This record gives sequence, C-alpha cells and structure tokens, in this order.
Amino acid sequence: MSTSTPALGADRRVSHGLARALRSPSLRLIGRRLAAAIPVLWGVTLLTFLVLNIMPGSAAQQLLGADATPEQVRQLEAELNLDQPAWVRYWEWLQGVVTGDLGNSIASGQPVTTIIGQRLPVSVELVLCAIIVSLAFTVPLALMAARRPNGIVDRLSMVLSMTGLSIANYVFALVLVVVFAVIFPVLPAIGFVPLSDGLLGNLRSLILPAIAIGFPLFCFYTRFLRGDLVEQMRGEDYVVTAKAKGVGPWRVLIRHAFRNSLFGLLTIVGLNLGTLIGATVIIEQIFALPGIGQELLQAINNRDAVVVQAIVLLLAVVVVVANLITDLLYAVLDPRIRYGQRSA
Amino acid sequence: MSTYGAPHSAAASVSGDGSRPSPSTTMPLLEVRDLWVRFRQGDRQVWAVNGLSYELFGGQTLAIIGESGSGKTVSSRALMGLLPETATVTGSARFDGEELLGLSDQEMRQHRGADLAMVFQDPTRSLNPTMRVGNQITEAIRTHLPLDRRAARERAIELLRLVRLPSPRQRFFEYPHQLSGGMRQRVMIAIALAADPKLLIADEATSSLDVTTQAQIMELLLDLQGQLGMALIMISHDLGLAASFADEVIVMYAGRAVERASTHQLFAHVRMPYTEALLEAIPRIERPSHSPLPVTPGRPPDLTTLPVGCPFEPRCSRARDTCRETSPPFEEQEPGHWWACWYPCDDGGSG
Ligand SMILES: Nc1ncnc2c1ncn2[C@@H]1O[C@H](COP(=O)(O)OP(=O)(O)O)[C@@H](O)[C@H]1O
Ligand SMILES: [Mg+2]
Repeated sequence: MSTSTPALGADRRVSHGLARALRSPSLRLIGRRLAAAIPVLWGVTLLTFLVLNIMPGSAAQQLLGADATPEQVRQLEAELNLDQPAWVRYWEWLQGVVTGDLGNSIASGQPVTTIIGQRLPVSVELVLCAIIVSLAFTVPLALMAARRPNGIVDRLSMVLSMTGLSIANYVFALVLVVVFAVIFPVLPAIGFVPLSDGLLGNLRSLILPAIAIGFPLFCFYTRFLRGDLVEQMRGEDYVVTAKAKGVGPWRVLIRHAFRNSLFGLLTIVGLNLGTLIGATVIIEQIFALPGIGQELLQAINNRDAVVVQAIVLLLAVVVVVANLITDLLYAVLDPRIRYGQRSA
Repeated sequence: MSTYGAPHSAAASVSGDGSRPSPSTTMPLLEVRDLWVRFRQGDRQVWAVNGLSYELFGGQTLAIIGESGSGKTVSSRALMGLLPETATVTGSARFDGEELLGLSDQEMRQHRGADLAMVFQDPTRSLNPTMRVGNQITEAIRTHLPLDRRAARERAIELLRLVRLPSPRQRFFEYPHQLSGGMRQRVMIAIALAADPKLLIADEATSSLDVTTQAQIMELLLDLQGQLGMALIMISHDLGLAASFADEVIVMYAGRAVERASTHQLFAHVRMPYTEALLEAIPRIERPSHSPLPVTPGRPPDLTTLPVGCPFEPRCSRARDTCRETSPPFEEQEPGHWWACWYPCDDGGSG
C-alpha cells in the first residue's frame, strides 16, 4: 500500500494525524496542566532562594572553613561571582534555567546536570523499589482484610497500619538496621552497590531503605484500599449483580470490587509521590545512599545555592509531572473516560 | 393453614384463561411461608418484612405491588440470600421443593443465577462500569455451565440477540457507558437469562427508564417468559403495570401482604382500601410517568415498631376503633381472594 502511495499522501496523512492529535482532549489537558505548573515551579525556586538567603553563612565561608579570615572569604566570593547582590545572581540563574542551563556547582565547579545525572538514578531506583514493595504487600493484605471485615486479618492489618502510620520513618529505619544488619547481619546497613556491579548486590543494598520508605506507604495504601473495597462490597449495585449471578466471594472481590478500586489506588500512589520523595532525603542520609536527597542536604550545608535550587526545582517538576501522569493513566485505564461519557 | 388450599381455587378464578398449567396437579415452583426479615440498625430493629406468604407456579407471572419501602425488594432479595449481614431472615421459602432459607452461601450460590435470577431497577449502577458487557454475561454463563471461552461467547451473543440488542456481536465488546439505558437493561436481562433460570425476578426493572423504553422492556420480558417458560415475579410500585400482564397480584404494605387475588378478580372487586387508593393513583396519560404517586394522604409507617392494629389505619378513610386495636388477619375471605381488612370495600353485589 505504501509503495503505491506517493510521498505526498503519506505527508498528508501525517499532518492529518498531527492535527487530530493536537485537538485531542488529553493533549490539551497536558498543555493546560503544564502551563498552570509554570507559576508553581517559579514560586518554588523563589521560595528556595529566599530561604537560602536568610540562612546564616555563605558558600565561600563553608568552603574555606571556620578559620578563614574575612579577607580570604571576600577574595573567594569575588572569584566565585558571589559578591553581586543576591537578586542579581537569582536573576542570572533563572535566565540560565529558562535556556536549559542549570549552571555549575559553587562548591565543586561541576555542571549541575552532571551531578544530577549521577545522583538521580539511585533515587529513582529507591523510589520504585519502595512503591513496588509497598504495593506487593498492600494488595493481598487489603483483599484478605476486605474479604471479612472485622475478621482476624482485618483487625491485625488495622493494628499494623496504625503502628506504621504513627512511627517516624527514620526511627523505623534505625530499627531495621539494628534488626537486619546488627542482630541478624543478613543485609548491609549502609552503602550502595550500583546496578552495574550486579543485580543481587544492588537489590541487597536497597532492601532496607526501600522497606523503610515503603512501610508507611504500605500502611496508608492498605487502609485506603481495604476501606474502598469494603465500601464497594457493601454499597455497589454491580456487586449485588455479580453475587446474583452466583459468582463466588473472592471472585466478586477481585474481579469486580478490586478492579474498580484500582483507579482510586492509582490516584493515591500518584498524589503521594511528593511525600515519598521527601522521605528519600532522610532515608538516603541514614543509609548513605548517593542519591539526589543526600546531594541536596550536602548542598544546603555548603550553601551551594545553584545546586540546591536546581534540585528543588527538579523535585517540584517530578511531582507536577507525576500528578499529570496519574491523571493521564486514569484516562487510559478507565473505560468511562477513555471513550468519553455517552449518556442514554 | 387456610392458604394451603389456595392454588386450586385461585386457578378456578382465573376465568377465561385456560392455557395455564393446572396448578392442582403440580407442586408450586416457589412456596414462601411466613417470611420475616428484620434489620439491625444501631440499637433498633427495622421490621422490613412481616409474615409474607405466597406461592408461584412454573410459567406464571406474579406482580408484587406496593409503595416504596413496603418490603418488595427486601422480600425478594431474601429468597436469593442477597441481604446484608445486618438482616435476620426467618420463615420458609421452598424452591422446587428445596428449602432456600438457611442454606450456606456456597449452597445458595448453586441456585443464584441458575435457578433464580434477578433484574434490578438501575441498569447503570448494576453493570460493572470497568468490564465489557460481553464479559459480564460470559461470567454468568461460565459460573453455571461447563462451556469454554468461545462457546460461552457464542452463547452470550445469542443471548444479546434474544434480548433484541442491535448488532450483538459488536455490542459484546462495548462497555456499559457506551449503551443507552434501555440497552443496558437488555444486557442485564441477558445476564439474568445466562443459565436458563426457572424464575426471573424483575425488581422495578422498568422504573428508571423512559416511557417508551419501559413499554419495550416490559414487552420483552413477557415475550421471553412465554418463550422460555419461566416463572416471573414482577415487582413494581405501579398497579397499572400489573393489570396488563400478571396472572396474580400481591399488594404489600408495611412489609406484609394486604391483598392478593388473580388480576382479573382484583380489578373486578377491590377489597382493601389501600389497593383502592393505589388503583385510583394509576398514572393517567396526562400525568408525567414518574411523578410521586398521590396514593393517599399520610406517609408509610415507621417500621421500627410493629403496630398493634392495622398498619394502614392512620391513613385509612374507613378506619374505626377495631382497626386501631387489632391487626386484621390476612386470610382467604373469598375463594381465590385474600385480604387483611376489618371493613373491606364493598363493590355492591359480589361474593
Ligand atoms: N440494609 C437495610 N438496613 C435497614 N433497613 C433496611 C435495609 N434495607 C431495606 N431496609 C428497610 O426495609 C424496608 C423495605 O425496603 P424495600 O424492600 O427496599 O422496599 P421497596 O418495597 O421499596 O422495595 C424499608 O423501610 C427500608 O428502609
Ligand atoms: Mg425496591
């Protein structure tokens, strides 16, 4: 077919497809959401900048140490271009960001993009592991709890969740280290093995931090999913229809209620990503994982405004994009949205 | 029990309709005896169904009529074991000779869909929005029949054709929201018919549809009933609906039967003042179809206490002291005609 069609036809087909894509509701949704995100992102960088300026100490001071004379500090500040007014530096940085240049670290002189490139994969892997671990336990436990509300599994899961939600994640992390690295030394307490050094070692180094982040998530997701499932089993007419067919209770729960709960769960996971990223900053520090969170803390210590602002901006972008992807996934998965509502 | 001899005389009174199987020679398909359902609600009880009895023969149509809240849905769901755990059900319901009440959920599942099937009021909420309609039908088929995927799909398409859904092969793959309300109800009927039930319970199956669609679905149900030889329980708040198709009518009030007769006999000689009020409230053409029924002044009774007298007494224009003091028994007062009333309406020269 394509051999007999001249290039012109193919061209027209492409442009036709493009025009249709531009008119598609999901693309317009993306466009609108991204446009709305710009002021938010800008506000985030401005706030970071203001906070960094209120903090005592300067990058030059941190680099030279406490013994440095004011003369030496002033000289280094001039070298690093830090003697200009703060808002001028912010303005220059912002201009760079708009053109895609995140600048160089004040402390090390390395391009910020290089630093992020090294650090980001570790954090992404950690976050993914945490989500996978939490969901892997949430789904079966919530299903069992919802099968018999107020039954033994439901009560136990309730106690477990309440414990998990009331314990700080760094405390829980330390408990994990004591149990699995000190009392039963089966897993490494700290440090990171990159994926290039073997999958097993890599996963072993991520298990404890992933659990430390994933456990409170698991508790939260389990409460949500269990509640949603029970509500559907009690209140939804299509559950009655399924029962009236003679379908067994597990099948009603999984094929009917759970299927409809998935959308809500997905939303919760997506919206929760901000909290999750916040947790990685502390957990990376505890387990000495060379991720983006560890870099952020280090940069704050160094008063390395360029790196701090870039990372804060990056995390804000991730949260915005994650929320957008959640909405889009929802649209892809939910047939009601996928086909557009058509009422009787 | 006086009601036991009923089928005989009831059949005799269905005058001019000789096509029915003679009930005297067969056992009823469904025999409900003294059915009580109450719900726990906080520290109170809701007395939803209070001593309901009736029987239904294979291939027959029974209409259960009553205002909203009179216990129609609860009494029929009790038969299928579809009530929430807060419900306490007592009495007896024999289906094909087998007692249904007290069966375990697993035993009950063998009957649900296979022997008794149900069509609900709101087809939009009764279909799973995230499943293709075809799969919702094949699920019902494969729960009871030993068919593989392909055979089940062919049967599902056959069922969609049976309920007169246009282009069934395409519709099989669509989601509920892609169908109109009437089409969804057709799908619900297809699901109910998936395993050839002997009894179909249609609980306000047309109430949420517009008038034209209502008539089409009604007609479809009656055609299918004739074609497949099922018994049909048609639940409605609209007595006028019953007039056109049912063999027998039960009128419910406050969880009990207050009048029961063959359709013919009921419309010829209404006895119970409540039925009369319902009859007067049959929607006329000039009135919009689902405007609230101006049945009779007053509200349905509070079901959290059992009344001493007749539950309809506060709203009844014929009520006297007796009605407040003692509840009238529901008895066969004329051959084939049951009612519960101390001072029944008199149509002048019948009986
Ligand atoms: N789960 C429940 N808990 C408490 N009361 C209920 C429950 N389900 C129904 N009822 C009550 O039972 C009575 C009969 O309801 P129902 O059978 O649905 O009436 P209808 O005749 O309109 O179908 C109503 O008063 C209703 O409030
Ligand atoms: Mg009802």
